[in-house]
Amino acid sequence: MDLKKTVLTLLVPLFVLFLFTGNGHARGERGFDDNEIRIGQWGPQTGPAAPWGAVARGSKLVFDMVNDEGGIHGRQIRYFIRDDQYNPSQTMAAVRELVSRRGVFAFVGGVGTAPGLAVQNFLRQNEIIWVGVCSGAAAFHDNPWLWNIWPAYFDEGSILAKHAVENEGFEKIALLYQNDDWGLDAMAGIKARLELHGLELLTAVPVEPIERDLSSQVARLQASGAEAVIGIMAPTQAAISLRTAVSMGYQPQWLHSYNLCDFDLMNHITEGLWAREGVITAAFTESPYADTPQMIRYREAREKFAPEERWGMNYLAGIVVAEPLVWALREVGPELSTAAVRDALNSVTEFQEAGPVLTWTADDHRPPRSLRIWQCGPNGEYNVVQDWIENELVYEK
Amino acid sequence: MGIKRTYYEDIELFSSGTILFWTIVLLIALFGAPFFLSGYHLYLFSIIMVHVIVAVGLNILVGNTGQIALGHAGFFAIGAYGTVLLMTMLNLPFFAALIAAAFIAAFFGFILGLPALRLEGPYLAIATLAFGLAIMHIIGHTQIFGGRQGLAAPMLDIGIPQLGWSWMLFTETSLYYLILIITILMVLLAVNILKTRAGRAFVAIRDSEIAAEVIGINLTYYKTLAFAVSAFYAGIAGGLFAFVLGFFDPFTFNLILSVIFLVMVVVGGLGSVMGSVTGAALITYLMYDLFKNVNEVPVLGDLILHVSRNWLSAVGSMDNFNMIALGLVMIGIIIFEPLGIFGLWIRIKKYWKTWPF
Amino acid sequence: MPFGHLLIEGLAMGACYGLFGLAVVIIYKTSEVVNFAAGDMAMFSTFVAFHVLAVYGYPFWIAFVMSLVFAGLLGVFVEFFFLRPAKNPTILGLIVITIGAQLLLAGVASWKWGAEQQAFSIPFSYQVTYEIIPGLVISQWALAVFIISAVIMAFLYFFFKHTKMGTAMRATQQNKHAAKIMGIRTNRVFAFAWALSSVIGATAATLMSAKTILDPQFMMEPFLRAFAAAVLGGLMSIPGVLIGGGIMGLIENFFGYAWPAWKPITAFVVIVLVLCIRPSGLFGKHYVKKV
Repeated sequence: MDLKKTVLTLLVPLFVLFLFTGNGHARGERGFDDNEIRIGQWGPQTGPAAPWGAVARGSKLVFDMVNDEGGIHGRQIRYFIRDDQYNPSQTMAAVRELVSRRGVFAFVGGVGTAPGLAVQNFLRQNEIIWVGVCSGAAAFHDNPWLWNIWPAYFDEGSILAKHAVENEGFEKIALLYQNDDWGLDAMAGIKARLELHGLELLTAVPVEPIERDLSSQVARLQASGAEAVIGIMAPTQAAISLRTAVSMGYQPQWLHSYNLCDFDLMNHITEGLWAREGVITAAFTESPYADTPQMIRYREAREKFAPEERWGMNYLAGIVVAEPLVWALREVGPELSTAAVRDALNSVTEFQEAGPVLTWTADDHRPPRSLRIWQCGPNGEYNVVQDWIENELVYEK
Repeated sequence: MGIKRTYYEDIELFSSGTILFWTIVLLIALFGAPFFLSGYHLYLFSIIMVHVIVAVGLNILVGNTGQIALGHAGFFAIGAYGTVLLMTMLNLPFFAALIAAAFIAAFFGFILGLPALRLEGPYLAIATLAFGLAIMHIIGHTQIFGGRQGLAAPMLDIGIPQLGWSWMLFTETSLYYLILIITILMVLLAVNILKTRAGRAFVAIRDSEIAAEVIGINLTYYKTLAFAVSAFYAGIAGGLFAFVLGFFDPFTFNLILSVIFLVMVVVGGLGSVMGSVTGAALITYLMYDLFKNVNEVPVLGDLILHVSRNWLSAVGSMDNFNMIALGLVMIGIIIFEPLGIFGLWIRIKKYWKTWPF
Repeated sequence: MPFGHLLIEGLAMGACYGLFGLAVVIIYKTSEVVNFAAGDMAMFSTFVAFHVLAVYGYPFWIAFVMSLVFAGLLGVFVEFFFLRPAKNPTILGLIVITIGAQLLLAGVASWKWGAEQQAFSIPFSYQVTYEIIPGLVISQWALAVFIISAVIMAFLYFFFKHTKMGTAMRATQQNKHAAKIMGIRTNRVFAFAWALSSVIGATAATLMSAKTILDPQFMMEPFLRAFAAAVLGGLMSIPGVLIGGGIMGLIENFFGYAWPAWKPITAFVVIVLVLCIRPSGLFGKHYVKKV
């Protein structure tokens, strides 16, 4: 073989080698050393689900605050955000990269049911701590290495229906839902609650998360004659359906999921209709403008560390999922280990900072079953209509 | 490239000793990879190989037969769902389920091939695109398919547990080897298909349907065959993908994936099997790894952050750089060489062969 | 069934799809390329209008005109820098270039304006409604959509029939080489077609964003539907595209009302069925290849 060919053919394997020998193999089995603890989170920063990406950036605020105070027992937190585009195969890639190349100690948050389910087994088999997946799907509830924070969608549906019937006195209730685990679990909750009161859903209309023209769906709701419509869908669809309904002169009481309790955003994208219609939502956090010392501290920190971020509910959700882990790391003391943090998380009782009241035991990592009900005031205020209602119904699948 | 003088030269698998040599080197590298690569890289390689199978199959349809297809994510989904459901519901062994699912995909490919007899260009694009959307939507609305909530793959057992002979694959490494072997077989199969009567018929149809018909090629048969073969490939790939990921939902198989498959084939080089392999590897690598966390890259990261701070908004949007880079690479390759990576390869080869002239 | 409402809404949305389909068709007519970047080019131009409106605070009409100018330049830019340099391109190669441009534009837009949803209001409100005949309520927005699409269609009809450029475009479509020999600078024709298509796309996107939400993804679904509407109409005939869009909107709304779960795909299924009977769409002439 002559020289030219050799040079040429050498290029290909060299190129391949170049591609795959990136950052070396920092195989940190333990996920921490004397100076740092590595924590990761995935979340969509690009693609259609990118607005939820603020969750991962919200957690960063908590870790920045911790690092600013000098870290936890002398260790700084090194935090990795990975973009998964809400695509399970990308989530898997991100998680494996963080585990096998960066060696992370724990994961917090992680937006979405499908991405979370895709990596659940991998994280569980590798015994990696994971706190607060951002999904209320029941499939996460019996994982010994995952501590749940986000209230179950079944409970959410049940509590929204309870509020609509018992406190607002509605009897004609319809549902506009996103056709996935979120919508279907919530529908089960709503039906269970209404059955208790001898009522029935007038109609349940599905929406695909990609749809942008909802006039036929809203026409169906209107034709059913519902006085109250429970909505289980993403902000974009909620805004479009509200605007469509108003343009048709159909003005029921809207009750929405806790994923839509960001009144600033919703008011902005509905041009004030959200406030005008007084939309009710569930919620599981403090109101973002609450005057508790905790929230004041977070707002100040946000101005200091991330002034370009909007102070929204997704951002706050990121803070909520990071809090228990930071607490547990502090609790464990300087002798850090996965088992110690696990035991600390298992001992969490009546823990509350910006999020809901959390209680976990060694064999119960389920999320809290209580939600609050907020209503958007005429100027976009976060009015608490009802504080912490617990759902006592049981999901029978 | 090079003049083929005899029939045997044409059907040879390796046209020169050099290619044989480097193929063996590549195979040794691939088989040795688990010994020095991290779990992340094994996963990335597995995804790449799954995409290679789809791209090689799609190339038979797009590159060799000259049809356009924007619905291959649908066949991919049929493969994934078919394999898992046949295993869990009908209790079939893995290989039987995989092949059966691939044949189901091939059957759907045949069905989709029927309108293709009359449609071409954008009309065919819309028909295939509608197929992909419909598959995604039907799966999402059918509870036995797991609905929108998705489906988890069972433990992978490549023996026949029904006869008491079980061979469980627990580790990522064993799964990697399984996929590697199947990928090699599928690529070899594709190379060989193109050298058979059918393969030549495909090329004749691409070059001129009328001329092909005149020389006695049964258009109906070979066009639907091309669709079926290419769907079979996507089905096999889907079945493997189900186990690489372990969990999937219908939205995984969206239109964007179909478009990306097509891009892989075109960027790799229409009509070339090795082109499709490299195209799939390059595009997958770009999507999953390169510039994925550009803020952590030493010099470039700071530069991009600076640009971002000054002219764009820096709120977590730097990850868009990955998408921008992917777009630019696609545009660059096609502008530079319409035959894609395969064309670049030919150019480099020609340049060196005739150097310094 | 609220017949009147579904009819009006379906027609208005369909007119938007049709208008946007025109953007696809104009490029297809001159160069046989389906422009997959059309959606994101229009999205980008709408964001420019949004930026002028929200950041600089100019009135809507100035912002709108600026976004149209920008759209024209963007069309020329894409044609000049991405498509023209390709040597001996295959049609699929050109389509992949437009897909690359789409990724590029989507990436830059969500980098610049962020992923969060924005509200973008135009002077034609969907909240102001008129009852033309009892039971048939039409919103100001829908009225604007009808008028604007009618104006654009009339303009295009006049343009292709009676102007030099329009004639040159038709000539280039029929035979590029013959057109060149006749002294038509086909490169300019292509650049102009891209600019015209981009401007029409931006108009459609502005109308649509007022009805839905403005975010970097908001034109993906409409693009698919517009492409489908264009195919249904036959890709070559300009009134055909608008009719295709109208059919699309009506099918979606009426079937969507009857079977909401299947709304996103009914229109596509109908289109495939139509194509099985008429392979070149409803108004396209079936093109017979000569040997």
